[in-house]
Amino acid sequence: MLTRRTILTATLAAAAVSAIGARPSLAQLSKKEVFFDKDAPVLGNPKGDVTVVEFFDYQCPYCKKTHPMVEKVVKADGNVRLVLKDWPIFGDVSVFAAQAVLGAAQIGKYETAMNALMKTKGKLTHEEVEKRLTGAGLPMQDIAAAVNRHNAKISGLLDRNYGQALAFNFAGTPAFVIGTAIFPGVLDEKGLKEAIATARG
Amino acid sequence: MRKATLLALVLVLIAAVIPARAFEAPLPVDDAFVPAFDRGSGGALVITWRIADGYYLYRDYLAAQDEDGKALSLKTEPGRIKDDPGFGSTEVYYGKASAMIAGPPAKVRLTYQGCQDGGLCYPPTTRTIDVAAMTASVVGGGSFSLPVPKATANEGFRIAGGSAHTAVDRLLTDGGIGLLLAGFLGFGLLLAFTPCVFPMYPIVAAMLSREGTRLTAGRGFMLSGAYALALATAFGLLGMAAAWSGRNVQMALQSPLAIGAVAVLFIVLALSSFGLFHIQLPAALSNRFHTGSGKGGSLGGAALLGFSSAFLIGPCVTAPLAGALLYIARTGDVLIGALALFALGLGKGIPLVILSTVGGKALPRAGGWMETIRHVFGFVFLATAIWLAMPLIPERFVLLPWAVLALVFGVYAASYEGLRPTGGYGVMLRSVAFISLLWGALLFIGFSLGASDPLTPLGPLKGSVSAGAHPSVRKADFAKIESRNDLASQLQASSARNEPTLLYVTAGWCVTCRTVERSVLTDPDVAAALDGVRLTSLDVTALDPARRALMQSLDVIGPPTMIFFDAEQREASGTRLVGDITAVSLAGSAGAAKGTLQ
Repeated sequence: MLTRRTILTATLAAAAVSAIGARPSLAQLSKKEVFFDKDAPVLGNPKGDVTVVEFFDYQCPYCKKTHPMVEKVVKADGNVRLVLKDWPIFGDVSVFAAQAVLGAAQIGKYETAMNALMKTKGKLTHEEVEKRLTGAGLPMQDIAAAVNRHNAKISGLLDRNYGQALAFNFAGTPAFVIGTAIFPGVLDEKGLKEAIATARG
Repeated sequence: MRKATLLALVLVLIAAVIPARAFEAPLPVDDAFVPAFDRGSGGALVITWRIADGYYLYRDYLAAQDEDGKALSLKTEPGRIKDDPGFGSTEVYYGKASAMIAGPPAKVRLTYQGCQDGGLCYPPTTRTIDVAAMTASVVGGGSFSLPVPKATANEGFRIAGGSAHTAVDRLLTDGGIGLLLAGFLGFGLLLAFTPCVFPMYPIVAAMLSREGTRLTAGRGFMLSGAYALALATAFGLLGMAAAWSGRNVQMALQSPLAIGAVAVLFIVLALSSFGLFHIQLPAALSNRFHTGSGKGGSLGGAALLGFSSAFLIGPCVTAPLAGALLYIARTGDVLIGALALFALGLGKGIPLVILSTVGGKALPRAGGWMETIRHVFGFVFLATAIWLAMPLIPERFVLLPWAVLALVFGVYAASYEGLRPTGGYGVMLRSVAFISLLWGALLFIGFSLGASDPLTPLGPLKGSVSAGAHPSVRKADFAKIESRNDLASQLQASSARNEPTLLYVTAGWCVTCRTVERSVLTDPDVAAALDGVRLTSLDVTALDPARRALMQSLDVIGPPTMIFFDAEQREASGTRLVGDITAVSLAGSAGAAKGTLQ
């Protein structure tokens, strides 16, 4: 039968669909837990009026590739808190890297350790992680001691990060929470700035 | 059918002006990597992944274990070395990947991991494969997950990453408002060549011919410009209304009353084209033309004419516009809605302005062949009227008006005396007349046989269509949903049976929905594609609070909308249909929704 067939609407609609669902636990998540976890190190301006939370992995190539841009935007803005939440998804090397950096945080070397690993490319091995940290002036025995001493604290933080990532139903890393909006996947500079502006209201 | 081609063209044009976004919202992992299982030689288990475009799997992260967690040897093929400056070098698979396990145990736990190129890396996915049955059980599931309504409460979070991906949003975010307007202008320009807009041409021609000898190119430009601007303004107001009131404009434009009224108007125009009577402009308007001292009055008249023409064209183009209108309604931005449709109206006016400026002077005064052109326009108007009214005509009778039109046109063409019967054009005309008569006769026969498809009038002779493997789908087959709880229980039931669910949002006033129910659902391909899909419908004719809440939580703007849920009660990504739904798009979406079952 002769009908008003148009592909237009169907295609427009297809583009609009995104099947990002929410888990029931999402409702139980408070802003305080996501933005102000007492054990999560804070970068940028700790007193900033907007918090950018990024779920990431030290072996996720896109997290590392876009990290300099994220830092640049946060620094240029000057009024943003940046919380990097470890979500190790690439096996035990990722868990090891996350623990090591959080251990370094306990001896006041968070940024040094984090930056050393963010500068690596793609896949890592245990040896590569150790080499990079040692190269940044962080002897492994110091880090290991710190991790052991604060084991409960670090494991608790990693567990909470994991739970939150699932509650947000994030597909993977990187993923951002900015204000009341969530962004799965890489954000470009424009997108990040806009998200911060939106969160600021 | 020409319309379908035209709109496909429009679509290509629009797609061409939308620059690709750097990062698409990532697919759910099960859509990015789709594993399939097969038995290889010697009882080996062969796993093949279909990998979506722009996604890849890591070779290093493919792993298999038996039920006790003991690693199984996995034979894989070499992948491509992915090596870029920010990446390091890793072996990955694009498009397709496969792995083999020789002598597998009864249950295999398979783990794989990959990324969206340039965007996001997924956590490892694990599936348990029952080797005897060659099925995989999906980990998790069970919870009823719907897209989160946007900006609901002060506390809590909303989904933003996924929402900024309609074509309209994209035109706006990537190219700014300039590109959005250019897109709509181009769309309008293409719409200017559809029958809906044809009445504008005689109207403007009549307007210009009143100028008589005073008509110059400049004057033609001024008059038609005023007409086009007024038309665009009227469309701008429509856009504003659409953005402001959401669904309601759609509802008003699509109501049987509006469609019927415009169809009647087209018939009146056609009769007037045949010279049965002259349409007299209202006295007030007519006076403006004649007594308007100097140019001001006449320009005002042209503007008034343009503004009122929009009410004729508006409902006629709603179907192709449905998608755009719904998205304007969704953004809720009054200014953007107004500007976008203003640009659309302007686009429709451009050919008119060009014609009036360039051809105004040469405009044919009344004469023999002008008469013929008017008659042909009359037939086009009649065809447009029938096309508009089709969903309103009882199904049993839809062939009748087409049959009559084809016969009458055949008789008209056959008896036309302006050409030598033996000349080239004469032969062509006679052939056209003959084909039209033949087709009209066939349609009449089809009508008497009870057919309803103008393209296969003799279809009933082939025997009953519904005797096929899949009886055609009827509206009554859909289970009625009235609230969120209804939907939840339906989804639970289909989840238990591992079948996808279709939710069809419809309404009594929605003319497009009738077309869907009559000619899309009855298509044998659609019936086959919907076999094994649980059918549910949400009728929003009377919008009570429960239905409204459900519509909101599903992010549905209006009927017709079709949403497919997979067996895990999540919307299957990329399958939602809004506006004019075709048999092809519906079968495609149903197939995709079924494809999510593993």
